[in-house]
Amino acid sequence: MNPVAIVGTGQTRHARARDDASQAELVREAAARALEDAAIEPRDIDAVVIANMELFEGRAWPELWVGEAAFAAGKPCVKVATGGTSGTSGCIAGIHQVASGLFDIVLVVGFEKHSEGHTQTGMTLTDPYWDRAVASGAVGNFALSVSQYMAERGTTERQAAQVAVKARRNAARNPYAHLQMPALTVEEVLASKPLAHPLRMLDMCPQSDGACAIVVASGTRARKLNPRPAWVRAAATRHEQPFIGDIERRLATMRTLREAAREAYAGAGIGNPLKELDVAEIYEPVSYAELAWYEALGFCEEGQAGRLIEEGVTEMGGELPVNPSGGVLSTNPVGASGVIRVAEAALQIHGRGGERQVDGVRTALATGYGVYAWADAIVLADRP
Amino acid sequence: MIRESAIRIPFRYAAGGAGSRFLAALRDERRILGARCDGCRRVFAPLRSFCSSCGASPLEEIALGPGGRVEAWTARADGTVFALVRLDGADTALLHRLVGLPGEPRRGMRVRARFAAERRASILDIAGFEPEEGASA
Amino acid sequence: MSAPVHVALEMDQSWRYAAPAAMARFCAGLKERRIEALRCGGCGRRYLPPRPVCGNCHLPLADWVPVADEGRLEAWTVVHVPILDPRTGRMREAPYGMGLVRLDGADTTLNHFLAQSDPARLAIGQRVRAVWREQLAGAIDDIRHFEVLA
Ligand SMILES: [Zn+2]
Ligand SMILES: [Zn+2]
Repeated sequence: MNPVAIVGTGQTRHARARDDASQAELVREAAARALEDAAIEPRDIDAVVIANMELFEGRAWPELWVGEAAFAAGKPCVKVATGGTSGTSGCIAGIHQVASGLFDIVLVVGFEKHSEGHTQTGMTLTDPYWDRAVASGAVGNFALSVSQYMAERGTTERQAAQVAVKARRNAARNPYAHLQMPALTVEEVLASKPLAHPLRMLDMCPQSDGACAIVVASGTRARKLNPRPAWVRAAATRHEQPFIGDIERRLATMRTLREAAREAYAGAGIGNPLKELDVAEIYEPVSYAELAWYEALGFCEEGQAGRLIEEGVTEMGGELPVNPSGGVLSTNPVGASGVIRVAEAALQIHGRGGERQVDGVRTALATGYGVYAWADAIVLADRP
Repeated sequence: MIRESAIRIPFRYAAGGAGSRFLAALRDERRILGARCDGCRRVFAPLRSFCSSCGASPLEEIALGPGGRVEAWTARADGTVFALVRLDGADTALLHRLVGLPGEPRRGMRVRARFAAERRASILDIAGFEPEEGASA
Repeated sequence: MSAPVHVALEMDQSWRYAAPAAMARFCAGLKERRIEALRCGGCGRRYLPPRPVCGNCHLPLADWVPVADEGRLEAWTVVHVPILDPRTGRMREAPYGMGLVRLDGADTTLNHFLAQSDPARLAIGQRVRAVWREQLAGAIDDIRHFEVLA
């Protein structure tokens, strides 16, 4: 595998409804910022990867409608759609295209405009013979898994609420974030509207309109384009069996994320992630998921995730800040969310994080999570 | 064994900056707006925010037509005729329908936009393109 | 800048799905209140829904085993948000109980409705039993929901 680095990032302002922009204009907003950040011209781009869940907007061939906005007209262009992992899978596709030597510069753009369609209905279009009769969207199927996770680990609603508070407080330092709530309290999370027991409104991610782009470059190009390229040390992905009932105690076991992380850590030479990672941008659609991911990602032993959040280990000033951007809990345009994780991790290595910059980041983790069926893990570093 | 089902899903698409301007001009000014790229000199119909060819943005807004030429056409079984119309001043064609045809259309024939009496910022604010005065079908 | 313009429309979606052979047999069984799983000869896992191949061992499945209409509640929730039911096209009334049930004789779990929607009366490990509809159509919703056994 040839050396690969991320040399530029760009994202839109994310909001409940970006009525001012069409899908293409939203994509252009992110893509143009990424090109500007990488100081490249449209002609420098060899190929484009688009990430989007077209089912949510009910629009066929999104890569056709938004491709030219991402400077793809006349170039190789493909779309990736793997649920929540669409964005990280798109990034991995772009990384592979450059690592193989096929292209020197690939632009990856993820976007979603949830305000234009019916996301939760899209989520219920599962197997028509088996679980479509009972499917209850992302909220329902997460709630089931959370009940098992809480029972096994003794996680409390307060610990989950602390995750929700951390996310929205961090988001207040991110000018692009959707939900910015610097003064949110645990009590307010616990008093928010019940969605599916024990999940409440503020335990869940919002549905956002937004787009995010990264510029992936080969080693020789990367050194010329960025003084501190974010080198891809490892990128791993895992798929699962098809039905929620196939997965044994989903959040407690998380074989997809555990396996992807194990492979990525091995590739990057990481033995103790809590000590060796400087920052993590993880895909947490639900407050409880972040706690489960701490364990699956090896930040702590099983059952210790609650202690991590209580002791502030993953806060901005903690040993391993998790989601300085505010995470998916603050901003979730699904097709873009995975790209945002990778872009935010790269941004931390570039040293361009502004108010959300963590000091001295040399190694960063980005993860993706797609329903229960996919997980991605990408390790970036300041050295190849 | 077959299982059938049906549902109805609502959608709400934003026309965006350029799209909203284009549709508002149809409704309020009965004008068809396009965009000219300073970089590659191409003129696009309809108005858009950035150049499809060279990527440049923003583009210069200009009025097109309302006359133009039929570049290609097809007729549906119910008699509706669809055509790609290249408006005067444009380098790209607009997909719309032909109306008021005395007979079969032909490639290259001159047509002109007929605006709908009631307009509501929709592409159908152009009721269709009809043969221009004196144009033979 | 013009005021933002939107195009609002409703799209009708309709589907016509063919059942895989194993699913067709399973559904025919439901019509007689019979539940059957397919057992993997490699790992021994008894699969619901029955399917042609074990995803872990990649072995074809052909060994049908009987499954009870009773089992253990492995996960549960009470859903409060209204959901458009993709089977009927109507909004589903909330709140409703929903769980993952491991039927006796199966190793995977079934996601289905629960008769109980009071969180105080639901717990992992409870024994639950299928409540069947009077008219059986050969579909998984021939089971109306699962009730908690005392
Ligand atoms: Zn141009
Ligand atoms: Zn097996």
